[in-house]
Amino acid sequence: MLTVKDLKVAVEDKTILNGINLEVKPGEVHAIMGPNGSGKSTFANVIAGREDYEVESGSVLYKGEDLLEMEVDERALAGIFMAFQYPVEIPGVSTSNFLKSIVNANREARGLEEMNAMQMLKYIREKIELVGMDEKFLRRSLNEGFSGGEKKRSEMLQMALLEPSLAILDETDSGLDIDALRIVSEAVNKLRTQDRSFIIVTHYQRLLNYIEPDFVHVLYKGRIVKSGDKSLALELEDKGYDWIKEEVDAVAV
Amino acid sequence: MSTTVAQDRYAAEKQKFQELFDQTEAANQQPAHPLDEYRQRAMALVGTLDFPTRRWEEYKYTSVNRILQPDYAIGQVQGVDAADIKTYLPEGMDAHLIVFVNGQLSEALSQFAELPAGMHVMLLRDAMDSDRFGSIAREQLDNILKDQDDIFVALNAAFSQHSLFLYSEKNVVCEKPVYILHLSTNAETPILNSHMNIAVAETGSEFAYIEGQFEKPGATGTYFNNIYNRVTVGANAHIHHYCLQQEGADGFVINRVDAEQDRDSQFSNYTVDLGGRIVRNNLNTVHKGSNLTTNYYGVYFGKEQQHIDNHTFIDHAVPHCQSNELYKGIVTDSARGVFNGKVMVRKDAQKTNAFQQSSSLVLSNKAEMDSKPQLEIFADDVKCSHGATIGQLDESSVFYLRSRGLNDRQARAMLQHAFIAEVLEYFKHEQVRDFAEMLINQKFEQ
Ligand SMILES: Nc1ncnc2c1ncn2[C@@H]1O[C@H](COP(=O)(O)OP(=O)(O)OP(=O)(O)O)[C@@H](O)[C@H]1O
Ligand SMILES: [Mg+2]
Repeated sequence: MLTVKDLKVAVEDKTILNGINLEVKPGEVHAIMGPNGSGKSTFANVIAGREDYEVESGSVLYKGEDLLEMEVDERALAGIFMAFQYPVEIPGVSTSNFLKSIVNANREARGLEEMNAMQMLKYIREKIELVGMDEKFLRRSLNEGFSGGEKKRSEMLQMALLEPSLAILDETDSGLDIDALRIVSEAVNKLRTQDRSFIIVTHYQRLLNYIEPDFVHVLYKGRIVKSGDKSLALELEDKGYDWIKEEVDAVAV
Repeated sequence: MSTTVAQDRYAAEKQKFQELFDQTEAANQQPAHPLDEYRQRAMALVGTLDFPTRRWEEYKYTSVNRILQPDYAIGQVQGVDAADIKTYLPEGMDAHLIVFVNGQLSEALSQFAELPAGMHVMLLRDAMDSDRFGSIAREQLDNILKDQDDIFVALNAAFSQHSLFLYSEKNVVCEKPVYILHLSTNAETPILNSHMNIAVAETGSEFAYIEGQFEKPGATGTYFNNIYNRVTVGANAHIHHYCLQQEGADGFVINRVDAEQDRDSQFSNYTVDLGGRIVRNNLNTVHKGSNLTTNYYGVYFGKEQQHIDNHTFIDHAVPHCQSNELYKGIVTDSARGVFNGKVMVRKDAQKTNAFQQSSSLVLSNKAEMDSKPQLEIFADDVKCSHGATIGQLDESSVFYLRSRGLNDRQARAMLQHAFIAEVLEYFKHEQVRDFAEMLINQKFEQ
């Protein structure tokens, strides 16, 4: 699904990702953890196609294609979905119109017919229930004035509607209360299939009680410095990052 | 002749209008009518006034030179089928429709609806003839000509043969809007279209009228729509006035509205400017009584060489009045937008609440926007706010939309649309709002 090789990325001449290697196979769930500022969001954004970053070296293959050559919308239509850590508020764009447009744009790219208003309403209602959102959000402007948790649910709703091949969740669990967390995890679990992969960026092991990852990676100073199974997350919860930082910094010195 | 003095900058142009007037009068086969006398007075007034130059503060950003150059003639009804008409109307709208083609009234194309008793729509000349409205109509005309210093108003009054008179009696609420459609079709010679509306709402009454200005798709040709509206809103009355404009690439528009409001009344103007080569709107309201509300909502979208200038004025002369002014527009290519919003709060106008906002998106390097709020406040206990923003699209929003699979064009169109949509939400009549939205969407697709 996704093969990242020795990816180095800079922002304004400052290297932030310093040689990332990662292989994500269809159906796998990878958790990425790591201290603040270690480069998790940067990695997620580069995969999603944000242009403020300069790829210095390395390669990213998605379904066998050179991902770094694709425009952000091409990536989306090819099945990559990013749930943003801080979704932007867009006044004036009604959530329901936005959802209709993106569903139909993605259907068109997959060679499916556009949905008519009735089909669309039914489809959106079904997914709204899945993520435990209130229908009244459909009438509001996209993300405008949504609470942190509501924004995250709106991201999950979009994910559920677009049925991506690879979903990247950047701290979707941050700021959610336990009920919301459960609903979001359930939504992810329902979407888990043999072909769909997830990269889940999180600070909290708690989420991983609900969504069981196949792999856990620790990102530190722009590199994956440790990988393991879900027990690594438990260990991190217990001991924090200091022991890993010490290990890495000792080697670097 | 090699020298001209500054005041006579447009002497030759004025002369051409005089000649056109003389020709039209000579060819006039209609029986004499008292309106003719007013028109002749107006033409004499044209002779004494000057066309504005860019040296005038109010015309600093807008030159009328291009408007005055063509050799105008008076148009004829031609090139329209009855079947064409509905494309210029809000879908499903049951309106009292009056159609002008190339400046000439077409009764055949008009569709007069049944209006409630007490709502009157007629030619100004007929109003002058009637016992009921004769003195009101004359008084309005006298007021228009008295101390008139705007040459375009004088010119309008001189040439407007089919001025309309809209009148609602006391406490009459007319649900059905009056729709005045101006259609320009192909013409070999440049056409001068002068049209005047006199709108009067008596105490406690309410009605809406819509002016639609369109060029028939595929038509080419130069024309000048010189439109004048005189609006008198009685106590506790409400007039909604819509101006929807989608003229062609060689269409010139000057649209002046002079409104006067009595106590507890409302006047709402909704303006959508999408077409035209040079468009100048002069929207003025004077407050004559307390506790009234004035609303100005404007949307514009200029592409290529378009020049769209909204000049607004609200004269807060009495206490406890409110004004809301919201303009939003987009300029791209080499288009230019101007907003000049003057709000005067006179010494006695305590407790005035005046809100003004002008926001624009400038989407290309060559596009330009000049925004000038002008607040003159002489009272001390008032709430006045104004804001002017000139900006570009928010790129992080573009990115967000694209990350969901919309292409760059779709994403930008969605955001531009959202930017403008805020104003449309204030449009009182849903069918007009939907229609305006449809016209704006068409412009995005172009
Ligand atoms: N656009 C940018 N311009 C400048 N510096 C940036 C930019 N984006 C990220 N950085 C820097 O790169 C580093 C990594 O940031 P990133 O947001 O990827 O970290 P993170 O691991 O997601 O942190 P957190 O856990 O706080 O979300 C930080 O030092 C950050 O300040
Ligand atoms: Mg982050």
